[in-house]
Amino acid sequence: MQRIDYPEPLQRLVFQLKRLPGIGPRSAERIALWLVGSAHATPGRNGQTAGARGRDLATAITETAEAVHPCPQCGFFTTAPLCAICEDDSRAGGPLCVVEQPTDILPLERTGVFRGRYHALGGRLAPLDHVSPEDLNIDGLLDRVRAGHAAEVILALGADVEGEATAQYLAGLLREFPHVRVTRIAQGLPAGGGLEAADELTLSRALTGRVRLT
Amino acid sequence: MLLRLELRDFRCFPFLRVEITPGAQFFVGPNAQGKTSILEAACVLLRLASPRAGSTLAPLVRWNAPSGGFALAGSYGGRELRFLYSPERKKLELDAVEQSRANEYLRLARLVYLGNSDLELVRGSGETRRRFLDFLGAQIEPLYRVNLRAYERALRSRNRLLKTAPDRRREIAAYDVPLVEAGTLLTSLRRSLVAELTPWAVGAQTAISAGDDPTLGLRYESGIRGDNNGGAEDFTAALHASRAEETRLRQTLVGPHRDDLCLTLADRAAAEFASEGQQRTVALALKLAQASLLEAVWKTPPLLLFDDIFGELDPARRNALLAALPAGAQQLITTTHLDWLDAPPAGPVWELTDESRLRLRFSGG
Ligand SMILES: [Zn+2]
Repeated sequence: MQRIDYPEPLQRLVFQLKRLPGIGPRSAERIALWLVGSAHATPGRNGQTAGARGRDLATAITETAEAVHPCPQCGFFTTAPLCAICEDDSRAGGPLCVVEQPTDILPLERTGVFRGRYHALGGRLAPLDHVSPEDLNIDGLLDRVRAGHAAEVILALGADVEGEATAQYLAGLLREFPHVRVTRIAQGLPAGGGLEAADELTLSRALTGRVRLT
Repeated sequence: MLLRLELRDFRCFPFLRVEITPGAQFFVGPNAQGKTSILEAACVLLRLASPRAGSTLAPLVRWNAPSGGFALAGSYGGRELRFLYSPERKKLELDAVEQSRANEYLRLARLVYLGNSDLELVRGSGETRRRFLDFLGAQIEPLYRVNLRAYERALRSRNRLLKTAPDRRREIAAYDVPLVEAGTLLTSLRRSLVAELTPWAVGAQTAISAGDDPTLGLRYESGIRGDNNGGAEDFTAALHASRAEETRLRQTLVGPHRDDLCLTLADRAAAEFASEGQQRTVALALKLAQASLLEAVWKTPPLLLFDDIFGELDPARRNALLAALPAGAQQLITTTHLDWLDAPPAGPVWELTDESRLRLRFSGG
């Protein structure tokens, strides 16, 4: 007897949805059925017909995939040849902030404190996970420093072993440029937390990175 | 305090229920496997790991168990604990509420397991003693655990590079700073841990040997060559000095992964010069010191599990050990017989029959 399953395209959709982060097989099936507007799903508002929800999403995905690409200079997301940050001339003389991932840029940007440009490495050195310098955008960073616009390079990498080692590695390479100041973002206490809540490691790092008041 | 223990389809037991009292209790009988399994069950219920099998729990399921898994339950400190294991799934309950994380469950109970393998603390390699220190340190100090993990990660990363790409010196050197940072802290944590442990261990050894054995000494020996307590500077210097050698041997040669805890009797190495009885006494003293330190930190004594160790001591030491056990601590003791006792047993004596049943032989003093 023939085994009945969803039609082929629907199965492919479920398969694709399952590959998304945080989506299990059950959720994938529910989302797929919602997109094609099955009997269990309620019809869309604004007079949308069944399946329109899926078409809108498909269009958004296709447009994004075609239009958005990483900025060739810093790695941030853009639809133009360069991203909005790299295009902003007022940032030209500012420091260069090195981050692990392009997704680290927006949180820093939202603080409103930083007025320079960024450079996303695309990861960090991790021999145990088979990530070596060739896997990261380090040459691009050195080119930018060599081009000589930034007087300071700020390393805004993770506070774990790999983040620390990556910072040390980059600091070693950047010694070639004696006119460039290399700094690391301070690691300290979480806002709203008292001293008694912090562990000793955090406290000792916060002490090392202390700031002069007078 | 553990007041009840229930085993279902655990090792040789289809079902067993043990009422446990404060203080000492004895499990006697020739069936070594069964007695040990009762202690193992207490350990698995409270710590979710076996002293014999570690966290691999599949071998603990009784052969032919209908559900394919085992269940353990007990009452500890007024809380009801339940642990169900099957190859598909582990389930934890606290007061009949299922726990999605083990944190709160594991915070309840502390125990110290004393078995014949403890002799390795004296006779075995430095790794056994480092593991002993780390296990204790991680239990009494959260920073110890976090920092140990950071050190091990930095060390493994650095060794991976030395092994696969020894010529990539800049990458290897990038791990020097995290290695030195975590390693220096680990060195000072271990040094103070040994200092805290020493008076307890010396006291226990004196008590068990009735003062007959030469004085026990504990000395922390740093794996940082040329360590003058200078911390980071000494470690960095030692790393630099070992560069040629580590490139040749393709591994990090200095650091706290080479630490040792030197055990001496009258300043002579216990592993080489002490008799077997003296060595067993030193191992026991270290474990009892561990229990004392845990009690000092947690303000409540850990549960003590003695797995067939009395039979390996001479009768005088057996009685001295029993007399020296911390009065406030609960003790589960297995032994083949109790003919050696100088005084009536301090607690109930259970006999394990061939049919894996418990029979009360003596209801306690
Ligand atoms: Zn850009």
